[in-house]
Amino acid sequence: MTPLLALIRKEFASLFGSSLAYVALTVAALVTALTFFDHLRLYNQVLFAYASTTMGGFASDSIPDYINLWDLVFFPVMEQLGLTFLAAIPLVTMRVFAEERSRGTDELLLSTKLTPNQIVLAKFFVTFAFVVLMMAVSFIYPATAITRGGLGVEHLAAVFTGLTLHAIGLASIGLTCSAFSRSQLVSAISGWAIAFILWDFGWMQPFVSEGVANVLDAFSLHPRYGAFSEGVVSLANVVYFASLAIVAFGLARFSFDLRRVG
Amino acid sequence: MRELALAGFIAALSGLVSLYATDHFGAFAGINLGLGGLALLAAALLGVRRLRALGSPHSRPVVIRGVLRIAVCLILAVALERAAQWSGVEFDWTREGRFELAPATLEACQDLRNTRATLFYDPEDPRIRRTRLLLDTLAARCPLRVVGQVLDEAVFDEDRYGVGSSNSVVLEHGDRFETIARPTEGTIYEALYRLRSRLSGVLTLLYGNGEGDIEDERDLGFSGFATALETEGYRLRRVASAALVEVPTPTDALVILSPRRHLPDPAVNAIRRWLDAGGSLVAFIEPGVTSGLEDLLGDYGLASPDAVVIDPAYAGRNEIGASIVAANYEAHPVTQGLGKNRMTFFPGARPFHLSKPQGSDRLVRVVLASHRAWVLEDPALLDAPEPPEPGPNVRRNYQTIAAAGRYVREAREIRIVAFGDAEFASNRHLRTLYNLDLALNAVHWATEREPAITLRPKIRSIVQFPLPIESTLSALYGIGLLVPEVLLLAGGIVWLRGRRD
Repeated sequence: MTPLLALIRKEFASLFGSSLAYVALTVAALVTALTFFDHLRLYNQVLFAYASTTMGGFASDSIPDYINLWDLVFFPVMEQLGLTFLAAIPLVTMRVFAEERSRGTDELLLSTKLTPNQIVLAKFFVTFAFVVLMMAVSFIYPATAITRGGLGVEHLAAVFTGLTLHAIGLASIGLTCSAFSRSQLVSAISGWAIAFILWDFGWMQPFVSEGVANVLDAFSLHPRYGAFSEGVVSLANVVYFASLAIVAFGLARFSFDLRRVG
Repeated sequence: MRELALAGFIAALSGLVSLYATDHFGAFAGINLGLGGLALLAAALLGVRRLRALGSPHSRPVVIRGVLRIAVCLILAVALERAAQWSGVEFDWTREGRFELAPATLEACQDLRNTRATLFYDPEDPRIRRTRLLLDTLAARCPLRVVGQVLDEAVFDEDRYGVGSSNSVVLEHGDRFETIARPTEGTIYEALYRLRSRLSGVLTLLYGNGEGDIEDERDLGFSGFATALETEGYRLRRVASAALVEVPTPTDALVILSPRRHLPDPAVNAIRRWLDAGGSLVAFIEPGVTSGLEDLLGDYGLASPDAVVIDPAYAGRNEIGASIVAANYEAHPVTQGLGKNRMTFFPGARPFHLSKPQGSDRLVRVVLASHRAWVLEDPALLDAPEPPEPGPNVRRNYQTIAAAGRYVREAREIRIVAFGDAEFASNRHLRTLYNLDLALNAVHWATEREPAITLRPKIRSIVQFPLPIESTLSALYGIGLLVPEVLLLAGGIVWLRGRRD
């Protein structure tokens, strides 16, 4: 087994050897299920209220436009889960580098045949895999409910693709913060803060020029992942989240350089 | 330094939160952002002093390499994102292909050469962006020329075409035109179809015996159905059922919309003779009404007792399920494209029992209620103060609410489509879910125009389909809560084992 594979295996073992991973998966699955069910119930209730005989039957003209699966289920679910993950993902990533640093085991890692690139790659890979697993677990219930309802799973898949990419973006930010800190708490708080600042620059539009507003908008997390709720998967948005991961990788790698000379 | 950075960060964050929440740059935001910024700057200067060590000859190459690496990552990231943005690659994952043109639209558009679409718009109107996108998408796939015209700059054209407001589209083909006030793919499709003006056939409709009125524009009238048939190229002829002794020629199909009174015997006999001679019939019958059509349909193996189908699958609270959201169809040209996620709505339907009069006949259960449906023998009980309950011997099963038959008699082919409900094609319900497609495709099949069978783009492109409440609940208990429970159990076991070790 190559040293890189061995490290990946060790990272997985340490992740799933602690109950924290299961708690995170449980919370993600439970929050998603309850949020989704709540919106689905509301959608059905409102739709059937308008569809009842007293309100004019199921005639499409008698049901207001805003009562639809996108506006009452997919979009609000995505908004709520996006904010929930903004708070939850830094808790998952906070220990990845910071724990090794505080215990001094990062020095041990560097004394093996592994290069800093391989160490960062292994940790990023394991964290991203965990995030994807978390989203996959969360996806099971909504997909079952929607498929049973005969509505097809394509649009929901777009929603969860957006959420997964958003979670990967948040994990990238969290991993960078973890790489530059010894304290898990500092790592989590700075992860939240940076993600919160990057969340949406739309509110700055009244204070800056149009050009600056456009640039800031291009950097915002929210418009990027929110676009998936329409059911359209744009390559530009996928690349944006991949770019976040690339930059985060570079920064995490730089933290090893700083440690060598600092 | 750390304390200073923390204080600066918290102050700046508070300022940003206040700006974010109020959209107002007040004293609170100003003071916090100012002081926070100064504190962060001071902390950064102190930090730079500490980082002097990084400037040593030994460290410098390492730091420069690291910074360069980050710069390369940043440039690569921005370049990739810009390239992806420029490519404009997008995938439409909406279930109904919301951002793709329907085959029916493309077919209607490609049939018309040299068509011009003029978009009348107010430059401030935000809706024109979506309309322009739709027209450009059409123009890319069809021989259509798109031009824009600012409203109020061409008053003569506005009067001529009857343009009333911004975001109106005028389609011109030769000397004919259609004005679309609310352009969507559905309305453009219908306008294209009208411009195409291809004669599809002649339909004879009965009136005078309580049949659905194709000139009635009220909720329960059928003017919408008539317009849709004319849009698809049919010429409609009305014949008084009291005077019907022979079905007039030419008639491609006879359409009978739920007579409320018994049809005169000569009319029933005329219909029977005409069918036996190879005619086609699209019949709509209602629960609680005996019109004589039921016996005629029974002779062709489409017996329909005077009862009503109750389907609780989609019933709301305190409703027994007399209204049916149908999602089950047997394979037949009439139901082409319809399925689990393309439902039709019937406000109340009577059942059909199928039995072939001859071995070579082909009878198909076109539309079925859900497996939980049952038959209420007396439709009058629906109006009783207490909702009727299914008796202990009632069988729940997929109940047929529309059927189609194809018969060959003396080398002539007879086609019949019968619906246990007429209201689903009324003005109120015609555009609900996929009702319009079902009703029009039934007529197309009856008139042997199978190539015209299609699913039309919806005038309103939003998903307003119900989800069965019971299956949503069972999914929550079966999957939604079970998965977290299993995960928590696994976590608990891992924790206990960790403590033991």
